Amino acid sequence: MEQFNWIQRSTWLQRCAALSVVLFGIMCARPAQALPLFARQTGMACLACHTVYPELTHFGRMFKLNGYQLDNGKDIQMITDQGDAQPTLGLPAVPNLALFIMAGYVSLDKALPDSQIPGAKSLSDGIQFPQQVSLLYGGKIAPHFGAFAQVTYDSAVDTFNIDNTDFRFAKQWVLPNKTPLTLGISFNNNPSVEDPYNTTPAFGFPYLPPEINVPSLASPLMEAGTAYTVAGPVFYALWNEQLYAAIGVYRNAPTGSSSVGNPITGGPSPSDSQTTNVVAGNNPYWRVSYEYDIDRYALMVGTYGLHFQLYPGGVPVHGLTNSYTDVAGDFQFQFIGEQNTATLKGTYVKEHQSLNASAAAGSTNPSDWLSQTAVDFTYWYQRRYGFDVGYVSILGSTDPLAYPSAPFQCIAAGNPGAGTCGGGATGMPGAYNVGVMNSFNSNPTTNAWIGEIYYSPWLNVKFGLQYTYYTKFNGAQNNYDGVGRNASNNDTTYLYAWFAL
Amino acid sequence: MKTRQWMILNLASAAMSLLYVSAALAQEAAPTPVSPADAEWAEYKAVTTCAWCHGQGGNSISPIYPALAGQKAWYIVEQLQAFRAQTRRDPYARGMMWGMAAQLDDTQIAALADYFSKQTPFASMPAPFLKDDAAIAQGKSIYNEGIAASGVPPCAACHQSAAEGSEQFPRLAGQHALYTIKQLIALHNQTRDQVVMNGVAAPLHEPEMKAVSLYLESLH
Repeated sequence: MEQFNWIQRSTWLQRCAALSVVLFGIMCARPAQALPLFARQTGMACLACHTVYPELTHFGRMFKLNGYQLDNGKDIQMITDQGDAQPTLGLPAVPNLALFIMAGYVSLDKALPDSQIPGAKSLSDGIQFPQQVSLLYGGKIAPHFGAFAQVTYDSAVDTFNIDNTDFRFAKQWVLPNKTPLTLGISFNNNPSVEDPYNTTPAFGFPYLPPEINVPSLASPLMEAGTAYTVAGPVFYALWNEQLYAAIGVYRNAPTGSSSVGNPITGGPSPSDSQTTNVVAGNNPYWRVSYEYDIDRYALMVGTYGLHFQLYPGGVPVHGLTNSYTDVAGDFQFQFIGEQNTATLKGTYVKEHQSLNASAAAGSTNPSDWLSQTAVDFTYWYQRRYGFDVGYVSILGSTDPLAYPSAPFQCIAAGNPGAGTCGGGATGMPGAYNVGVMNSFNSNPTTNAWIGEIYYSPWLNVKFGLQYTYYTKFNGAQNNYDGVGRNASNNDTTYLYAWFAL
Repeated sequence: MKTRQWMILNLASAAMSLLYVSAALAQEAAPTPVSPADAEWAEYKAVTTCAWCHGQGGNSISPIYPALAGQKAWYIVEQLQAFRAQTRRDPYARGMMWGMAAQLDDTQIAALADYFSKQTPFASMPAPFLKDDAAIAQGKSIYNEGIAASGVPPCAACHQSAAEGSEQFPRLAGQHALYTIKQLIALHNQTRDQVVMNGVAAPLHEPEMKAVSLYLESLH
């Protein structure tokens, strides 16, 4: 029961990292946003690429897949003596930078128990000011080379971390039948960052989740489970602005707070058994989608997924692995009018887990499964007033080892927060039934409705009020943790302000 | 009644003469004929970039964006130059085309205009909720006869009987109704400056704009 110590000794994001992937909460994913830097580069208004950020229009999808190339200013140029046919520099005169700042207030339906003092309670709300500050760099680096890179200050862990980052090379051809073909490579750090739709996890709904919340036990690995801990190339092709196919290979690349480092060298790498969820070898990611445009409607159906091998931590990194295979189907139905924009989108991910390493260590079943269904509808009037209604459902197999039912937290007598229960159980000195993060029936099922209203007086200023309503949390509606907490006690009210400049 | 007809004719002829002058100026400024290399460049740009909004071959799918296929080359030149100079100021011109046209030089503009003018226009797909046969009939009447009561001249007097345009007036046939309505509103509100059309659109009401736009969309 050593693994429960993390609750008392680690910070919010360390918790996310320390959790095994099956324990990774969907809310850990940090979103990225629209970029005034692209507006600066292209000389075009946000509405060219976005309905309202971060959702992309057809034009925005083309801009991204073709390497962020459109350029409104004059480049600094150099050519060889052979002339224009051999350019050596096409540098934008001004680097494309932007900043975004976000602050949020969150209120939980019911306060959590105090982590140290049995019977006492935590505050039921919190302010993060700022919740995030991101520095963004992006756009054209050189002809055919483009980037989108984000460094984010996260107040929850008081550090700057690398966020979604995508370096691309893309080239276009006109085929003999006069249709366009784009071939490209994206080097990035989060599977689905390269994707141009808003159904995939990196830029999916909910766009701005609260960071003060109770994360649910599990979600599929595809849902940001390896974000910023992997890197690799994704090769893609886009034909006729319609058919998109991508295949990528990711390798272990922990950064910042996701990297424990190597205790022998004291350096950030190579990873060993100290680090949880070390990604083993080459791990494929894939994506195929087809878009059909008619009138002002864009319809997309697609599929994506990954097959990743992970060492769970605490085991040799040259041995048994946990294997995750995620297969997803998604759709997006977008209407873009002058006054009204509306988008219905949905995605279903099914994950099969072969947990050879964890099962050998006695910490999970030999195999488990998870699924995540997310559907949401967004509407904006004049790109100024909007709302979003969504439903997220996580289902999974029951696994008493991976999701222990025991609700206790270990607190050594006389030394709050620092001790262990030494493999003990309820009733041992220092242990008390805190609950909240466990599942009494060892099942990760979590269902939630998410409603949000928006007001965006300017395209780079947005205020949102979001409510998350759980109908099930960690396996049950009522008393899911065995000590009286109900799913609805984790409902969150989230008020935020977002500025991009 | 006679006075009113006289006013219409006067306005129409004033429009004609003004546009003749501006078209003549545009033609004077027109660059040399498009070289094969420039034509190849234009096709590449049109297929790989312009098509994102204006559709392959200039037949746009979304009615937010105008179809360009078969449009008169001189008119495309004039508009691209106006976007580049930021003198055409309607909403989407500012939001999109100012940026898109910023780096184009006159040779490139001429090549793009030449490319789009040579594409075959397809019939626009009418917006289903705007389908309105009565309005199309009214639009046909406005197009061919004008609106005598409010002094609106017949569109056909300048834009030709089948709205195919000429060396002085742009093609309107088959254009998306939603785009044409937007332009008529912009010309009416003078968020798009075009001295003749500002005058023509001034007395138009939205139902009339809709009617004539739907009629134009139905032409092919």
